[in-house]
Amino acid sequence: MTTIVLPYMLDFYPLQDEDNTRVHQFYASLREGKLTTTKCKNCGGLFWPPRVACPGCNSDQFEWVELPDEGELYAFTAMLLGAPLGMEKDVPFVLGMVLLDGTEFKVLSRIGNTKYEDCGIGMRVKLETYELEDGRVWFRFVPVD
Amino acid sequence: MSLKNVAIVACGLAPFGVRKATWRELVQEASKSLFDDVQNLDKKDIDSLFVGAAMPERFAFQSHVAPLVAEQVGIVPHKVVTRTELACSSGQSAVRTAWASIVTGLSDIALCMGVEKMNMPNMLETQTSMACVLEREWDGVQGASAPPFFAMCAQRHMHKYGTTVEQMAMVSEKNHHFSTTNPYAQFQKEIPAEKVLGSPMIAPPLRLFDCSGITDGAAAVILTSEERAKEFTDTPTYIIGSGQCSMASNLANYKSLSTWHPLKIAAKEAYRSAKIGPMDLDFAELHDCFTISEIIEYEDAGFCEKGEGGKFIEEGQSNIGGKMPINTRGGLLGTGHPLGATGIGQIVEVMQQFRSTVPKERLVDGAEMAMTHNLSGAANVHSILVFGRSPT
Ligand SMILES: [Zn+2]
Repeated sequence: MTTIVLPYMLDFYPLQDEDNTRVHQFYASLREGKLTTTKCKNCGGLFWPPRVACPGCNSDQFEWVELPDEGELYAFTAMLLGAPLGMEKDVPFVLGMVLLDGTEFKVLSRIGNTKYEDCGIGMRVKLETYELEDGRVWFRFVPVD
Repeated sequence: MSLKNVAIVACGLAPFGVRKATWRELVQEASKSLFDDVQNLDKKDIDSLFVGAAMPERFAFQSHVAPLVAEQVGIVPHKVVTRTELACSSGQSAVRTAWASIVTGLSDIALCMGVEKMNMPNMLETQTSMACVLEREWDGVQGASAPPFFAMCAQRHMHKYGTTVEQMAMVSEKNHHFSTTNPYAQFQKEIPAEKVLGSPMIAPPLRLFDCSGITDGAAAVILTSEERAKEFTDTPTYIIGSGQCSMASNLANYKSLSTWHPLKIAAKEAYRSAKIGPMDLDFAELHDCFTISEIIEYEDAGFCEKGEGGKFIEEGQSNIGGKMPINTRGGLLGTGHPLGATGIGQIVEVMQQFRSTVPKERLVDGAEMAMTHNLSGAANVHSILVFGRSPT
C-alpha cells in the first residue's frame, strides 16, 4: 500500500514554501506572528490576499506591509455539522469575518478561545498564529481579553 | 450581423434525489425524457452540445464530460461542443452559452445537458469538495463552506433589517409544499415552519431545513432559432433577456452580505434587455439554496423594497395569488440542488408553466413572462435569464 505524504492536494492549506509560491514571504512573516500583505509600489493599491501582479495598474512591483493585528467581528457563525475532511475533529468551531482596523478587509477566519454563544457583532478580536502538525503555519483570531 | 431570437423547443428531466444511479445513467434518463418531448427532430441536426456540470472530477472522478454526454445521448455535435462550469450556475451557463451561439448564427440546434451526481458512499467527500467552491486557499481553508457563509448573510440581514428565523422558515414551508406537487423533486413531504425551526442546527441561525439538499439529478433542453422552433413544438419558450455579474471572490473583499450587489446589477441588465420591469414578470424561479437567499433575492431582484423580504414571504406575496409567485416547482429547498442540473431544471418549470402542463395546484394561470435566477459560489456571481411565451 502507498502511503500518502502531506501535503497532498485534497488538503486545504496552501503550499507555503518558495518552491511552490511567490508569496512565501507572507508565510515567513506569519511565522513571526505578523499578518502581512502586498502593497503596489506604483499605484499604492493594497490587496488581500497578497498579489504578484497589480490588477489596478498592471505593475509587478510590490512591498510587504503589515496589516493591523486587531479588528472587530462583522459577522460570525459556527460550524456544527458537515465540516470538511481533516476538520471534523474541530467541530464545533466559530467562523467569523474580521473587519481589520483601518481597512475595508473583512478577513474570514476561525475565531478561537470562544463559543458561538459568547460572540457578538462588533466584538474585538486579535490575531493569533500557530503551527500546523506538518510544520506549516496558519492564523486565526481570538477575543481581546 | 442580424441577431436571432432564440427558443427552447423541448425539455427533459431525470428525477432529482438520492439516486441509485451513476452520473452517466442520469444523463441517459434526462436524454430519454428530452427526446420523448420533441417531435420531428433528427438527432443528426443537433450541431452543438453544452454540458453544465460543476464538479464531475470530484463527484464522479470524470473529466472531459462533453464527449461522454454526446455519446450517451447519441449525437455528433459538429459546431460547438463544450462544458460550462460555474459551480451552482453551471446549468444556466450551458443555456446562456448555447443561446449566445444561436444568436450569432454559429449554432443552429443546440442541446444543453445539466447534470450532477453528488451523493457518494462517504458524504465527507462531497462536503469536502463543496468547500472548494469558495476561494479554497484563503476562505475554504478556515473550514468554511456554503452553510456558514449563508448563515452570516442571514445574521447580517437579521441585524440590519430585523428579518426573523420564523420568516426564513416560511420560505422552506412554501417551497416544500410546492415540491409535494412535483414527482421529480427530492423532498415529497410537507415541512411546516415549526418543523423547520425544530430541525438540527447546521450553522446558526441556519437549521437543516433552511438548507437545500445534497442531490443527484439531470435536466436537459433543446434550443434553436425562432425561425426553426415551430418545426419541433407548438409551444416554444423564448429567451427575451439576460443579465449576469461577478463581483469579488475572497470574502474579505465583499461590499455587503445583506445586499447582493452583483444580483442588483444582473437584474437591472436582465430587465433592460427584456425591456420590462421586475413586476412585469408573472413568476420567477429564484436560487433558494438557503431560505435567507430567497429573502435577499426578493429584494435585490426588485420584487419588494430593500429590507422587506421577510415581510414579503410573511404576507404570502411569493405564493400563488401573491405579487410574484416564486419557485413553484419547489425550489432548491424542495426539489434538491444537483448543481449542474439546477439551472436547467428551473427552465423546465418555466416551459411547463407556459404550456400549462404542471399540476393545477402550482399553475400560474396565463403566465406570459418569467425569469430564472442562479447564484453561484458565495453569492458573488448572479445569472439571470428572462423568458417569454412570445419572442418579444
Ligand atoms: Zn498598482
